[in-house]
Amino acid sequence: MLVVENLHAGYGTSKVLTGASLEVAKGKVVALIGANGAGKTTTMRAISGMLKPGKGRVLLDGKPVQGKDASRIARLGLAHAPEGRKVFGPLSTEDNLLLGAYSHLPLFFGFRAKSAHDLERVYDLFPLLRERRLQAAGTLSGGEQQMLAIGRALMANPKVMLLDEPSMGLAPVIVQEVFNTIRRLKAEGITLLLVEQFAKSALEVADYAYVMERGRIVAEGAPAELHKDERVLAAYLG
Amino acid sequence: MLKRLLLIRGAEIIVFALLAAIPLMVSNSYALGLLTLLAIYGILLIGLDVTVGYLGQVNLAHAAFLGLGAYAAGLSVSLLGFGMLSALAVSMLVGLILGGLLAFPALRLEGPQFALATLSFSALSATILNEWEGLTSGAQGLQVSRPIFWGHTVNAQGFYWLCLILLALVWMAMRNLLSSQWGRAFEALRDSPIATDAMGVGTYRHKVAGFALGSALGSLAGGLYAFNFQYLQPQSFGYELMVILLLGVVLGGRKSLWGAFFGASLVALLPNLLSNRLLFEIISAVGLLAALLAGARGLMKKTTQPFQAIAPILAMGLLVVGGMFVKNTEDWRKAIFALMLFSVVVGLPEGLMGFAARFLIQLFRIDPPALPPASVLDTVLPAKAPNGAPLLKLQDLKRYFGGVKAVDGVSITVHSGRIHGLIGPNGSGKSTAVNVISGLYAPSAGEMLLHGKALPRGMFQVSKTGVSRTFQNLQLFSELSALDNVMVAMKGVYRTPLPLVLMGLARGEEKRAQADALALLELVSLRQDARVSAKDLTYGDQRFLEIARALARKPELLILDEPAAGLSLPDVNKLVKIIWSIHERGITIILIEHHMDVVSELCDMVTVLDGGRVIAEGSAEEVKRDPKVIAAYLGTADEADTADAV
Repeated sequence: MLVVENLHAGYGTSKVLTGASLEVAKGKVVALIGANGAGKTTTMRAISGMLKPGKGRVLLDGKPVQGKDASRIARLGLAHAPEGRKVFGPLSTEDNLLLGAYSHLPLFFGFRAKSAHDLERVYDLFPLLRERRLQAAGTLSGGEQQMLAIGRALMANPKVMLLDEPSMGLAPVIVQEVFNTIRRLKAEGITLLLVEQFAKSALEVADYAYVMERGRIVAEGAPAELHKDERVLAAYLG
Repeated sequence: MLKRLLLIRGAEIIVFALLAAIPLMVSNSYALGLLTLLAIYGILLIGLDVTVGYLGQVNLAHAAFLGLGAYAAGLSVSLLGFGMLSALAVSMLVGLILGGLLAFPALRLEGPQFALATLSFSALSATILNEWEGLTSGAQGLQVSRPIFWGHTVNAQGFYWLCLILLALVWMAMRNLLSSQWGRAFEALRDSPIATDAMGVGTYRHKVAGFALGSALGSLAGGLYAFNFQYLQPQSFGYELMVILLLGVVLGGRKSLWGAFFGASLVALLPNLLSNRLLFEIISAVGLLAALLAGARGLMKKTTQPFQAIAPILAMGLLVVGGMFVKNTEDWRKAIFALMLFSVVVGLPEGLMGFAARFLIQLFRIDPPALPPASVLDTVLPAKAPNGAPLLKLQDLKRYFGGVKAVDGVSITVHSGRIHGLIGPNGSGKSTAVNVISGLYAPSAGEMLLHGKALPRGMFQVSKTGVSRTFQNLQLFSELSALDNVMVAMKGVYRTPLPLVLMGLARGEEKRAQADALALLELVSLRQDARVSAKDLTYGDQRFLEIARALARKPELLILDEPAAGLSLPDVNKLVKIIWSIHERGITIILIEHHMDVVSELCDMVTVLDGGRVIAEGSAEEVKRDPKVIAAYLGTADEADTADAV
């Protein structure tokens, strides 16, 4: 569903990605792990168009999308739940969710009716968000904001969803809930690329994983295979 | 090092010597007038650059300060019979005082509101100059005679040299100031005003001082302006001049003395050059050529976006084509300025000088100045044997936001030399509690005692008591280098008073601060990245840099707010080592953290908050077994499931 070939990207003169390649098959959860500064978030940003890649290809459902604007790529079916959640603070929870579906909805009339089904689905997945639907997103707790960011991405009915560090800065009990959510998304058949610092937990939910170092993929495989790789084990899985 | 000194100082000396020598070679009163204007505008723009460049505020009052300075100088000569130097001192003083008075309320505002406040100040001052006819003769204009200078009359040539000498003095003083702690503080507070307060650099104080200083330079230029033209009219200091001045700073390049100088030459010379048809055609052709070359080079090296390359070419092309059809270029002056400004803003966002500096540094391979060897860590952070007595006591601390009880009656005692963990679910009040302790929020009720004495209010005040902190959402000075980030916060080094700093007598303490900062960078293993700007460090290194910066306050109590958030396993291990080495120096630590393995390994004592209240306290092992903590925070999922998360 998502194919990344030899991707190069960076900020100004600093090159962060130096030829990263990976693949996410339909309905699979793929984890991307590695140290801080290895280029995981940059990979996500280069895929979703928030950063223009210098070289390389990104294929979404077989069609090249590299170099297109982020809004364009989003409309083609890629949803990015960014690091740090980035919810629209002053807007209500429900408005945040509706904005997630922006590209499918009519601009003026009837968008509530049209989005009702998708909203219900998100509220069923995250009952807490239903309780908070009229509350400003900025006043939600960190865990609730993360649920909202995932829900907002889901509202777009994406072909592929990118999930960047969903556990960052969350209490252990909420981290468990985030991983339970990822399991539920997986059960629903959502195609997911996941960047996560809790490498062990990420490998438990993933079907396949890539290890990134200095802008390249240095190891890949099913979680069970990576667990056998002593170097990966020592460096990332403790 | 020597090469750097020779090239940079050499260029300054050559330019000033050339400027001083021109009147000896060419005796043309028109050229002399332009040169005098150049020197005056140089002082004016260096002053404006303090607010626009260093403080990063849009200042629309600078033309008004030029006018006020001009009238102050003119009136003190005609009414009080002052000589040249005392009249100039009066105009500078007027700028300093009025600038300070305007800055007090205006700098509480941010961005557009600040711009509007300065705009209303210039409207006010223009009205006063116009309407107070008894003093200023209003719109008729004020005749000013050039006063005597130490008993001598001054001719045009002598006056030019006086302006040039003043420009050189201002240049040197500003160079000394901006390369000292003051300049660093100006830049730091533009990036993160919260962090400058927390690091003991009074944000507001520095802003007011910077603005008053810039305004004083503007008024000094005004005094010279009055004695140059010897005729003043209020409308000369209106909106048009203000826009042209901003243009000069942006065109020349912000945060640079050379930039201000280039900006001044453009502002002073361009209108005159443009009135000459041939010169205009040459300038526009050169501009087009430069845009074409820069655009092609940028596109080939992929350093610029297509829009950035093409827009200046179109604008300069329009200038060349337009020049063929326009009869009198003088009438189109503002349009020409607009096109040039547009090209520079789009194509060279850092201004002409910013671009040239980067190019010249590459061309001559100028290295940054060498760093001194790092100080011994023991002299920077002397190890102390803690006595284990209570250091910080919170008693029934409360902080409400409207109806939300973020902290609702928390009592904690932190003993000296300990690592005290503070954990709890998101929204349980941990961050609010440390924000209250560090002075970002005032408490709604309750007491905070450090060594038995009440903590003061406000971050700046708290930062002086030996409490230092890091931030959950990084608050680095992102444009500054790692070294400068630490140097901004360095406590107990900067003692030289301002007048001596202006004279360049603060170099010794500057070296000392560098050496001390390097020792702290070494502690978090960032020594080799000292010159890298904070925004280019990896996320993990940014977290470590915040710790080094907090240590520069030489704290007794260090508050770490989620230092491991978002760190991968290798970096988490490094963080634990760093915290141990800080602990060994006898520094008391409050650690807010969600990684329970980090908390268990480091903390002697852990307090658990939920809903703004303490629900458990004890050793890490004790609280981990507490059913209330498991329910509210740790979760009951089986251990293997999220082994590394718990």
